[in-house]
Amino acid sequence: MVKSIPTPLRIFAWVFVGVTGLFLLGPLIVVVGVSLSESRFISFPPNGLSLHWYRQVLSSDAYVAAAWLSLRVAVLVTISATLLGGAAAVAIHRRKLPGSETMGAFFLSPLVLPTIIYAIGMLMLWSTLFGPVSILTLWISHTIIAAPYVVRTTLAVLADSDPFLEEAAATMGAGRMQRLFLVVLPQCAPGLAAGAFFAFNVSFDEAVLSLFLRKPGMTTLPVQIYSQLEFSPDPSVAAVSTIMILLTVVLILVIDRIVGVQKFASS
Amino acid sequence: MTDRQENLFLVLPGLALLALAFFVPIGQMLVLAFQGPEGFTLQHFARFLGDPFYLGVLWRTVKLSALITLLCLMIGFPLAYIMAHVGPRARLWLVIMVILPLMTSVVIRTFGWMVVLSRSGLIPSTLRDFGLVGRAFSLMHTETAIVIGMVQVLLPFMTLSILGVILRMDPKLEEAARTMGCTFLQTLRTVVLPLATPGIIAGSLLVFTLSASSFVTPNLLGGPRVQVLAASIYRQVTQTLDWNFAAAQAVILFAGVLLVLIPYIRLVRRADG
Repeated sequence: MVKSIPTPLRIFAWVFVGVTGLFLLGPLIVVVGVSLSESRFISFPPNGLSLHWYRQVLSSDAYVAAAWLSLRVAVLVTISATLLGGAAAVAIHRRKLPGSETMGAFFLSPLVLPTIIYAIGMLMLWSTLFGPVSILTLWISHTIIAAPYVVRTTLAVLADSDPFLEEAAATMGAGRMQRLFLVVLPQCAPGLAAGAFFAFNVSFDEAVLSLFLRKPGMTTLPVQIYSQLEFSPDPSVAAVSTIMILLTVVLILVIDRIVGVQKFASS
Repeated sequence: MTDRQENLFLVLPGLALLALAFFVPIGQMLVLAFQGPEGFTLQHFARFLGDPFYLGVLWRTVKLSALITLLCLMIGFPLAYIMAHVGPRARLWLVIMVILPLMTSVVIRTFGWMVVLSRSGLIPSTLRDFGLVGRAFSLMHTETAIVIGMVQVLLPFMTLSILGVILRMDPKLEEAARTMGCTFLQTLRTVVLPLATPGIIAGSLLVFTLSASSFVTPNLLGGPRVQVLAASIYRQVTQTLDWNFAAAQAVILFAGVLLVLIPYIRLVRRADG
């Protein structure tokens, strides 16, 4: 295929890919660069090299508290989104219930509906019914937007699985629970695992819901970064951001090991 | 337990959460938008549509979203085409190049642009070194900054939408066109583009909605003076605390998004089915 593309076009294609790559990754590279700077001011390319902004971040109560909150929420969300989304995906995949198609679309709708619209609705409803927001509000709302990822990855894995295994297990006398846990669960395991990591990533990096559903003393990491950017950014923001970027890199590598990033990307 | 009960048992918890914690809040927001001190009212909409400031905000939102979508398309289509035609190893690297920014918090990516675009940042100072702009030149707090930042944030969505369609295409079609004497560009125009159209339209609609509804990047790069609709909603909710008016603006955004989303969902369903 590639052979039939004229050479000048091929050179152009690689230049284009290089420039686009720089455009896509540039902001991340800049953030990493700023975090290594010695100077008190944000500058890129960095002035001198030092890790002292990382020390600063690790000894800052505000950042540590925000990171701890983000981590707790993300872990809770990973568990709830994987359980609810995975179970739903299994039922939707079997297509035995009436309206399975519609249900699938239903479960994916938080992906297409802009988060800001959901965020404002959630804030208004929660305040009317229960008063001030809490970590529970974050947990529930993050679960809503993270679960579709689990549904999607699990459905993708199930679509490639052998549909007759469950039937075979039934013929051989396996009970309902045995089939579910010994046949279906292992079948969707890679999808569930990939979905779980996506869910963690979505919750940990989420800014829109967390910006609407916040109160003094309850600040997630992205909100903390956002507030710093609005008022007084210094290189410590870059250090926190770099740690978050590294975490994303690790998550992508793990997801690639489990299901292959490409499979997810083109589905 | 029957099959039906088992499936219901699996799907109901998720469905219940979705109904109570997703659709009810959206309903609540719709109600608040039409609520005044004396029950049902359209006053919030009248206030929005009667104020040139808010009409300006709306116009800027539509204009910038259209421009952002167009730029994403112009970069995303060639990128997706190249990704589909390189070997599997190179494709893996390109996919990571697209997904890494996609999975990084939007706050962090915007921060990167703030550094690059600020007065002492890389881009303005380079332009100054070449004598192209004046001393006080800065890109921060301009529409240009919003467009640059948003295109970077949304380009992955466009690229992946188009990549999905191109990968499903039969590569023999392109080969056949070439064997029959088409040039590379003719093949692109008469074979690839028509077949990729569903992905192009789906990607464009998605990018348009996402760009019309985002506020983190526009807020940080555009500042308080260059407001878009979503940023105005955020300000209304967190600063002036006028929730009914904020809800009315969200309904206007919602209506606009639905206009775009309904064809999107139809299209995606057709592509899958």
